Amino acid sequence: MELIRTEKVCKKFNQLTVLNDIDLTVNEREVVCIIGPSGAGKSTFLRALNQLEIISSGKIFIDGELFLHRENNATVSRVNQTEYKRLLLEMGMVFQSFNLFPHKTALENIMLSPIHVKKIKKDEAEELSRRLLADVGLTDKADEYPSRLSGGQQQRVAIARALAMQPKFMLFDEPTSSLDPELVGEVLIVMKKLAESGMTMLVVTHEMGFAREVANRVVFMCDGVIAEEAPPNEIFSNPSNPRTKQFLNSVL
Amino acid sequence: MNKKILIRVLIAAAVIISAAVVMSLSKPPIEDLTARISPELIENARTSYSETTNNYLVFNIARGRNVRTAETDTYIGFMGNIFQINDGFANSMANILFWLPALLNGTWVTVSLTIVSVSAGLLYSIFIALGRISKFKPLSVICGAYIFFFRGTPLLMQLFFVYYGLPMINPALTINDKFLAAFIAFSLNVGAYASEIIRAAIQSIDKGQFEASHALGLKYGQAMRLIIIPQSIRRLIPPVANEFIMVLKDASLVSIIALSDLTHTTRSISSSSSSVLVFIPAMIIYLIITALFTFVFNKAEKKFSVYH
Ligand SMILES: Nc1ncnc2c1ncn2[C@@H]1O[C@H](COP(=O)(O)OP(=O)(O)OP(=O)(O)O)[C@@H](O)[C@H]1O
Ligand SMILES: [Mg+2]
Repeated sequence: MELIRTEKVCKKFNQLTVLNDIDLTVNEREVVCIIGPSGAGKSTFLRALNQLEIISSGKIFIDGELFLHRENNATVSRVNQTEYKRLLLEMGMVFQSFNLFPHKTALENIMLSPIHVKKIKKDEAEELSRRLLADVGLTDKADEYPSRLSGGQQQRVAIARALAMQPKFMLFDEPTSSLDPELVGEVLIVMKKLAESGMTMLVVTHEMGFAREVANRVVFMCDGVIAEEAPPNEIFSNPSNPRTKQFLNSVL
Repeated sequence: MNKKILIRVLIAAAVIISAAVVMSLSKPPIEDLTARISPELIENARTSYSETTNNYLVFNIARGRNVRTAETDTYIGFMGNIFQINDGFANSMANILFWLPALLNGTWVTVSLTIVSVSAGLLYSIFIALGRISKFKPLSVICGAYIFFFRGTPLLMQLFFVYYGLPMINPALTINDKFLAAFIAFSLNVGAYASEIIRAAIQSIDKGQFEASHALGLKYGQAMRLIIIPQSIRRLIPPVANEFIMVLKDASLVSIIALSDLTHTTRSISSSSSSVLVFIPAMIIYLIITALFTFVFNKAEKKFSVYH
């Protein structure tokens, strides 16, 4: 069962083509890692999925429905408003810079959206949030403000916050890139646990070890196109595209 | 502001306020006071008269046959004692105490006008700022024009227009209450200035906060109310405090519509007493209010920065 499918997705910023005919499918319970050099369009692609960027043309299918279809910077069709909101909430997003709400405690960060978007009761939201905090190993940090947490802890709170909306799949945009090296591990452990629990994940990462170990498929993006797509052992040991080879040589 | 200075200012304010309270409570009977003037003094006085004002008894005792050339000694009865206050420090102090009730009335007008105008202006400014940054062009243009108009013309003229100009356009628009007229002009003016402050504060919030709100399914209004505006508040406090103190001083413009604020009262006392002495207590009162509000805003800023 496919959760995400894109067809010929293009994104132009003025004259600059950042995404060029991206076709990608992510199936339920699959972990797909996107790797590639800076400026390849990896972030733009994730952001296009959850509407932080509006694509120039192409089709996005979410959970089997045609979510958005655009041609020449104009919307051809889009699911109705209630479906649009529902499908948007099926995607959880984790950002490189965490983007926790600094004026809310860890617990409040997680509770906020269940209460205000899902309209669930406050004590239920709190129970859910405490459980999620425990899952990411931060039971004792519930009442801390983000500024008092380390980067790794902040990112774990951010993951719990995204999970609180009970999304069907998670988008990660370089979740460990702004962390000190010694803090990367704790976030990757949480992500690995999440993958093992059966969450569908689309992860932009520079952590090749994580991709090799956890991903079902690795996608190499370069200059706005998907240059290669293969299972990790294949792409890491025997890349078919010379650009993939060049990139892997530079990072490994 | 330095804490020590503030404490001193507060003590001074407390002393002045208690002096005023004591004065308004103690009204010694006139007979009591006249009885204490030495018989000698009364004897010597060719003409003598006394007058009671609010709280004190003032004697003007003239010496000499000719009223015109007579030297006048002034005595003031206060709390059962008689002081000669012809000149010098005692005289000045007595005068200041004498003017204080009127000055405090003026202070009340100034402070209340400032507080209600800034509060209302801040309320409008939230909507004007949101309108200004709205993607809906006509709304943005209207809010921009509002800001341009009120920041681009003198407040004095806006005040003049509300009080004198509107009735000329249509008598139905007459505003009889001077305070109300001043409030309308000031709050509209504050609305324009504060909306620019708010806009800057909102736009200084990291874009990631909007993106996270969107990703979590919050609507634009919810993101503003729950995420963006609460974070802006701490950044808003210093410029709003500044605006507040500007308005406190600009409130003196209400003299033009003869509303008896602190400055207006000071000026009328000054001209009726043909002395500039009254400006000293008036300025001290302004400084005390400014210090008090600075203190309050500093406290507020600390309170809102708990998470930093
Ligand atoms: N809002 C924007 N306006 C104009 N150009 C943009 C915008 N956002 C991204 N770009 C451009 O799009 C290109 C792709 O950016 P993107 O952030 O998707 O790359 P990336 O693969 O995520 O790179 P990195 O590894 O550095 O995060 C870059 O050249 C960038 O300058
Ligand atoms: Mg990126």
